[in-house]
Amino acid sequence: MLDKPASALRLRERLLDSERLMEETGCYDGITELTLRNQDPLKFETLHTKLRAYCVSAREMARRISASPGVREVGEMVVAIYTPEGDAIALSNGIMVHVHTMSRFIKWMIKNNYEENPKIREGDIFANNDAFIGTVQVPDVMDVVPIFHEGTLVGWAGAVCHELEAGGITPGGDVCLAQERFTEGLFVCAEKIGENDEIRRDYVIRCERNLRMPIYWVLDEKAKVASCIDMRESVKQLISEIGLDYWMKVSKEFIEEGRRAQLARTRQLTVPGIYRGHTFYGHVTAGKPGFQLLGDPDWLYNIPIEMEITSDGKITMDFEGTQPWGYHSMNCTPAGMDGGMFVTLTQHMNFEGLVNDGAWMATELKLPHGTWTNPDNEMVATATSWALLLPAYGVFQRLLSRSFVARGFVEEAFVGQVNSPMIEMGGESQYGTPFGMAHFECAAAGSGALAIKDGLDTAYVGWNPESDMGNIEVWEQSMPMVYIGRSIVPNSGGAGKYRGGCSFVSTWLINKTSHLRLHTSEHSSRVFDNGGMCGGYPAPTCQKHRAVRNSDIHELAAKGEPLAHSPGIDPDVSDYEKNIGGDHVVVEGPYITSPHKSGDIFSHSYNGGGGYGDVLERDPIKTAWDVENGFLTREAADQVFGIVLKDDEDGYPVADIDATVERRAAMRKERLAKAIPVTDWIAKERGRVGKADFAPEVKKMYASAIKLSSRFTKEFSDFWNVDAKSIFTPGAKP
Amino acid sequence: MTSYSKEVLGDLAAGKLPWPQTRRIMSAYKDDDRFFKMVAVYQDRVAWKDPILLPVSDHLFICQSGDERITRCECGHSFGDYRKNWKLNAAINVRNTEEALREIYPNSDLPDPEWMEIREFICPECGTLHEVEAAAPGYPIVHDFEPDLEGFYREWLGRPLQGS
Repeated sequence: MLDKPASALRLRERLLDSERLMEETGCYDGITELTLRNQDPLKFETLHTKLRAYCVSAREMARRISASPGVREVGEMVVAIYTPEGDAIALSNGIMVHVHTMSRFIKWMIKNNYEENPKIREGDIFANNDAFIGTVQVPDVMDVVPIFHEGTLVGWAGAVCHELEAGGITPGGDVCLAQERFTEGLFVCAEKIGENDEIRRDYVIRCERNLRMPIYWVLDEKAKVASCIDMRESVKQLISEIGLDYWMKVSKEFIEEGRRAQLARTRQLTVPGIYRGHTFYGHVTAGKPGFQLLGDPDWLYNIPIEMEITSDGKITMDFEGTQPWGYHSMNCTPAGMDGGMFVTLTQHMNFEGLVNDGAWMATELKLPHGTWTNPDNEMVATATSWALLLPAYGVFQRLLSRSFVARGFVEEAFVGQVNSPMIEMGGESQYGTPFGMAHFECAAAGSGALAIKDGLDTAYVGWNPESDMGNIEVWEQSMPMVYIGRSIVPNSGGAGKYRGGCSFVSTWLINKTSHLRLHTSEHSSRVFDNGGMCGGYPAPTCQKHRAVRNSDIHELAAKGEPLAHSPGIDPDVSDYEKNIGGDHVVVEGPYITSPHKSGDIFSHSYNGGGGYGDVLERDPIKTAWDVENGFLTREAADQVFGIVLKDDEDGYPVADIDATVERRAAMRKERLAKAIPVTDWIAKERGRVGKADFAPEVKKMYASAIKLSSRFTKEFSDFWNVDAKSIFTPGAKP
Repeated sequence: MTSYSKEVLGDLAAGKLPWPQTRRIMSAYKDDDRFFKMVAVYQDRVAWKDPILLPVSDHLFICQSGDERITRCECGHSFGDYRKNWKLNAAINVRNTEEALREIYPNSDLPDPEWMEIREFICPECGTLHEVEAAAPGYPIVHDFEPDLEGFYREWLGRPLQGS
């Protein structure tokens, strides 16, 4: 074991040394024995608990400083403590995706000789939101401060807040119109933004002059710096109690212990082998204002994932066969991919013991160069990376879940996180002032089902295990819209023995403004992107937007006429069209249009999760409850689940068990009568494949995958017994 | 060491365990004897005698059938050698029209069937819907899981399979 208390080496040399030791020994920092843990396990565990308490306490304190409902209400913040080389030792709850992206930021500064210039001194504050340095997207702004003890750098404290306004080409943070880096918003590229524990005035001025709603960003900066200083002082106090040498050793043993624990948990909870899955994302922007014609306006991405669990417990995820980066906002950097892996692991496997970067070190991501997962062009936009990250890590959750099912831990199987659209806005506020904001009620979509119960309704997103939609009243303070409805979307969870969690839809009346820009992102309307498992169906695709311009809602209200509070359950004619007069608008995909004004109505629907198991095994009694409470429609109960409902004397639905048994037997027969052998289907489809008889976007997807991946080409060719290259890329060089 | 009775695990797998008890199991340290107990629960559930080696889905199991190891439906139907993709021996129903998709999504906006289809993989004997793929037309059928069965038994469970 390397013994290097308060090493005199420069940081860069220490980092390279640490990486070399990991390479040589397979153990973090060359720690082959957990000496301190073995000497005094109680002291070891207690110290880590203290560090975690420092983090949780600092985050809670900081949330009270923030002015942003995203941070105050929804908890879009995380903090962590790092080694001098930038590896996370302990972290808070919150948006844990950023624990490892901050690690990349610190390492980037070290590798780029920040010790030399701009220098790393006590009291310095560094900030970053550049995804190619270490974050996911521009609104994820991170601050770190070095921790010194008697002149020696002994660690870092870091904090991230998701900003609700980032100053991009469209208001908000998930800037849907960003097709290159230059339209994403205000970049802070690993900058020293403060000294002597004070944020520089010129930095604040830059923020104030480049953001639509600087109060969010600037106060979040203060909140983050306060949390970092709080953690720093706590760590310094701890070091004065336990001694510097002990700190330097134990902080690294914590990480090695985390790495070993992750490997052990994999061996305990899973089955070794190769797992495969895929998801898709469809983007529709043809004819929408503002999009530059830099690439195809409409496109389809495939996201295949192969996960391998080896006998030592290592998990490797391979994205080979996926699509190239593009001139859109949904590219992701390796930092973002790492973050997705980290936050997913914390929820599934790394939820006990010493949660830290060690778990991430027990995994490996294979991100093909030139794809959206690892762009070979650093000018690309990553403003809405989540659109692809979320469905991709939903697949990861399903792959892990299959291993849990195989091992017998059915209670851990979870169909996974979902991609769900979000809404952002800007223009003139209800107070007559300029404003901009991302509406973060999106942080409470439906989850995938579990293998033993239905998914969570309106209560889960992948990036923050503490999902929360926030209070209506708080959101209404921040935007010139008032809610006229927020309700469960029936059937929005994928059907199955256990259904996916349902999502919700909000309906707003635009109020006290003559200029409200509403934009939405992360739409995948043409395909299913939130899959099911073990016979469960995917959740419905992303729903269309329904708006009413120049509505007569005030006249209706004055007359006491009924209003519409949701789109309703008729997919062809919404309740708005039935009940409200005005110019009705139905928009598929990202909502990019001319500004709204007072009296207009706008609705936005979020996504539910995929289902688990065969629909014909769903509990009829639970289904009757679902229908009574608006989670399922009667139509779905009958048509999808084969559950016959009748009304009790008070008009409430109750299951008719005998009739249900009969109906399901008939449906099962019908299912078998309709189905054909897979071998027959393959023989029939081969003809279509040979002629590439597909929509242009589908053909383009195959051509791109074939160009980038020889493995995808071989697997495609082998499966269909065709020459994929000659079909989809005729004329291309062999 | 944490441990649960076969009855409790049977109820857990069937989704019948009361939520507070389920929640406690989820939060507690995991029971190291889970695998073989759960296999015993499944073995009781099926009518056939082949020893179950590994559950691979809600109603699919890899089992020892004479000298062969096969993927078998809970009803008894064999999908063949466990190393091959069982889906290739299943029955399939593809939903690639708005009408067919509407049957499953009666009240929602639908995807474009030109971009995406639903493939239902069904047991040709009992009609159980074992897996659903949502894929672009022309996308190869996925081989979901290739377990390292022998390595699992030998190295992780410490009980090498006979003949391996």
